[in-house]
This record gives sequence, structure tokens and C-alpha cells, in this order.
Amino acid sequence: MTRSKHNVRPAASTKSGGSKFGYFFRKAFSNLAANRLVTALTVSTITLALLIIAMFLLVFVNMEGTVEQWSRKVVVTVYFDKEPLPQELTSLKNRITALPGTGSVSFVSKETALKTFKERLKGQESLLDGVSADILPSSLEIALTREHRSTEAVNIYVARLKKVQGVGEVQYGEEWVRKFLTFFNFLRVLGLLIAAFLLLAVLFIVSNTIRLTILARRDELEIQALVGATPLFIKAPFLIEGVIQGGAGAVIAVSMLTGGYYTLLSNSANFLAFNPVEAGISFLPPLHLIALIIGGSFLGFIGSLFSLKKFTSI
Amino acid sequence: MIELHNVTVQYQKDSQALSSVTLKIPKGDFVFITGTSGAGKSTLLKLVYAAVQPVSGHVLVDGQNLSRINRRQIPLLRRKVGVVFQDFKLLANRSVFENVAITLEVLGWESKDIGKKVYHILKRLGIEHKMDVSPLRLSGGEQQRVALARALVNEPKILLADEPTGNLDEANKNQILAIFREANIRGTTVLIATHDKRVVNQSHNRIIHLHNGMLQEAADDPFKA
Repeated sequence: MTRSKHNVRPAASTKSGGSKFGYFFRKAFSNLAANRLVTALTVSTITLALLIIAMFLLVFVNMEGTVEQWSRKVVVTVYFDKEPLPQELTSLKNRITALPGTGSVSFVSKETALKTFKERLKGQESLLDGVSADILPSSLEIALTREHRSTEAVNIYVARLKKVQGVGEVQYGEEWVRKFLTFFNFLRVLGLLIAAFLLLAVLFIVSNTIRLTILARRDELEIQALVGATPLFIKAPFLIEGVIQGGAGAVIAVSMLTGGYYTLLSNSANFLAFNPVEAGISFLPPLHLIALIIGGSFLGFIGSLFSLKKFTSI
Repeated sequence: MIELHNVTVQYQKDSQALSSVTLKIPKGDFVFITGTSGAGKSTLLKLVYAAVQPVSGHVLVDGQNLSRINRRQIPLLRRKVGVVFQDFKLLANRSVFENVAITLEVLGWESKDIGKKVYHILKRLGIEHKMDVSPLRLSGGEQQRVALARALVNEPKILLADEPTGNLDEANKNQILAIFREANIRGTTVLIATHDKRVVNQSHNRIIHLHNGMLQEAADDPFKA
């Protein structure tokens, strides 16, 4: 029994980790190029799925922004029986600022209070004719930091505030705060639920689309397994393809959203009665856009991984 | 090289594809496995490359007990075994060259070495001039050679073939069998499953005959059973 000397079968891979990775990348790109139509269909599906997520995110971010603005109206007011002296006022402001949860402290003089009152009675200012600023108390309006705006946190803050030397009557709209925060939390939970549902739907769509591409190449997977390919060798190019397709879909989705948003802005005067920017509608921050692109690649990776599970047990 | 001890394979509860088969095929042997359709020929081959697992008994390939190997060891076993399938299993969207190169890619060969080795084997089998063509544009005999080239390119210790002469004319049959014999001379143990009476009768090799999943070795005329 003789074997030729120059053709010795290697017992294991002769490639280093780096060149193996390079091989997987080359293989992934050549597979994508060889199956152009399927690749285009997969990327389009991922693009549409991610566009829905991106649009939802845009609505959610704007909704959160609006709610955040409303929540700034959670203000605790300290009323003075008599006008404080400037030194007293400064030291009281410092003591209040030192309390945990204090965002900003602003002094509202009797005159300012009357002016604000008049503004609120616009059109009926005559009701305040002859009324002097002396009938209104001066006050300190305290805005709370974001994390101290919950009902319990406000109660704890007010209890601490009342112990501060020089603080007399304290008022805040307890019922309003409670209702507002309940609504705010409901919106958040609803948003998160919809986001989770959308993510699951997108993962399902992406996974099934990639499964179709794998089904189309099951012969190749089978042959690779039969000639001794390890599961990693079979899976790696497909996983890289998933990441590339997911990333490409995400980049296109983000570009479409950006293009759509700015086209809407520049043409809004033609069909909208308001200017979206003036109405406080803002675009997604860059961090969200980067997260979308990374998320798209991750979706492609997970989608490929799920789909491959079934096919690598040949 | 290949040993089966009391091996039983069952695909369905009430029928056995192989029933208590015991046999030994030494290194460098050339064996025909004969029998009618459904006799268990393909199942016997599948046992050797671990595509099926026996419900009882032991299969030893190159000293390795396949009942005890884990999934991660299966690829390493398959690198020792070249398989020529009845339906060739060639990739239609790949060229002849790429179809053969798959075996070496899996082993991690460098592309320049793959090029040389694939060209060498295609030349040996007389189809080097078709290496850029899709297998779909080849005749049955040529497709069989590509399948053989893919199985032989890494010089396997064992070569399995399922009905390799099934759809070939006499001239092609002889040429294909000559390639198997050449591989055998180079040291490869060859197992050919066939129900082609003429192929078996023309040879003087060992014959393992299967009937309803049971072994009936070395009958004078195995096709009588």
C-alpha cells in the first residue's frame, strides 16, 4: 500500500485565526454577490422593518421630549408672609439649593406675581384695577431634578424642605403631580410594549427572510458538512452575511428616515398649518441613529443564528 | 479499517434498515456492496460517515468507535472519508473547480495550494478543460468524475460510492471503475454500493450482499438472492 508523497492530507486547518477570518469575510462577500437578487430582497425587507422601528423611535423620542417639558412644570412653591431681606433671601436660596432634588430656585417678587396674574387674566385685566401688588405674597419657585419628580420623591422633598430654617408655607399640586406622573408612566410602559412587539416582529421577519436564503443554499451547507466542515466553518460566512445585510438595511432605513424628515421640514409649509421644528418636533439624536445601525447588524446576526440552528445538524 | 459489530439501524419503529450486521473490511480492501433497492446498501455507507447512528451495535472506522464520538468529532471523521453520492450532489451555481475546491477549503488549505491540487485531480480524471463550466452543462459521466474528484482531492483513507455507475454507458462505467481502482492502488479502502450486475460480475473483488437489511456475504451470484 503506497501513498503519494507530495499530497499529504492536513490533519487540521492550516490557516491561522486571522486568515481564517479573512476567508470567512471573502466567502461572505462572494456569496452576497453570487446571490444578488436574494441579497437585495433580504436587505429590502430588513430596511422596511427597521424603518418602521426608526419611525416609532422618532415618535417615541418626541413624545418623551414633550412629556419631559411638561414634567418641568412640577414646581414646589415656598410663600413668604413678608418680603424677605436680600441677605435672608440669598442664604435661604443656598440652603434650598443644597437639598438633594433641587433643580433651580427662583424668587418671584410681589410685583412679578401680580404681573403673571394679570397675564393669566388676559382680556379681563380690569378685574384687577385698583389692586396693588401687596395683596399677593412673594415666593420662591423650586424646580425639581428629573429623578425627583415622582410622587414619593416630591413628598420626601417637601418634608425636607419644610425643615429648612426660614421656610414657611409650602405648596405644590399634589393631585396634579400624581395624575401627570401616572399618565407619563403609562405612556412609557405602552411605548416600551409597542417597541418590544415591533422588535419581536422585526426579528421574526429578518430571521425568516434569512432562512429563505439559507434554504436556497442548503445543498451547499449539506456538502460542506459531508466533506468535514465544522459547524463554525459553515456558520461563520452566513453570520457575517447576516451582519452585513442587517447593517446595510439599517443604513438605508436611517438614510430614508433622515431624507424623509428633512424633505418634510422643507416642504411642510405647503401642507401643514404648523412648522414641525417650531412645534418642537425634533429628529433622532446621533446616538439613536448609531444604535439603530448597530441594532440592525445585531438583528441580522441573531436572525442568521436562529435560522442556521436547524441546518448545521446534517 | 471498517468494522461493524451486531449493528442494527432503524428508521421507523417496525422496520429495520440493517439488522444485526457484523463485518470487517481491512485497510486497502476493494468491496462491492450489493442488494436490491431497500436492502440497506446506502444505510451501510451512511454508517461509515456517521450520517446515521445505529440503535444497537458498534461501528469502528479507522480505529474510532463511532458510537462514542461526539458531534464535534464527526467533521474530523468525514475528512478521512470521501463520498460519491448517487445524485452527485454537485452545486449547480458553482463551477466544476469550485465544486471540487470545497473539500480543501473546508480543510483550511491556502487558495494557491487549492488551485494546484484541484487542477491536478481534474487532470487525472480527464476533465481539467471543463473546470470553469457549471456542472449542469456536463454529461452524466463528466458529472460523476467531478463528484469523484471532490471525494478524492484530499486523498481520503476511505472512498464510499453509492451507485456510481447507475446512469452511465459501458465506456463511462469502465472509466469510472478504473478511477476507483487507481485510488485503491494508492492505498484508499473502497466501498461501492451497487445493484449493477455486470459491474460486479466483471470484477474479482469481495462482495458483501445485503438482503432486507441482513448480511449474506460472498454469494457466488449475489443477485440470485
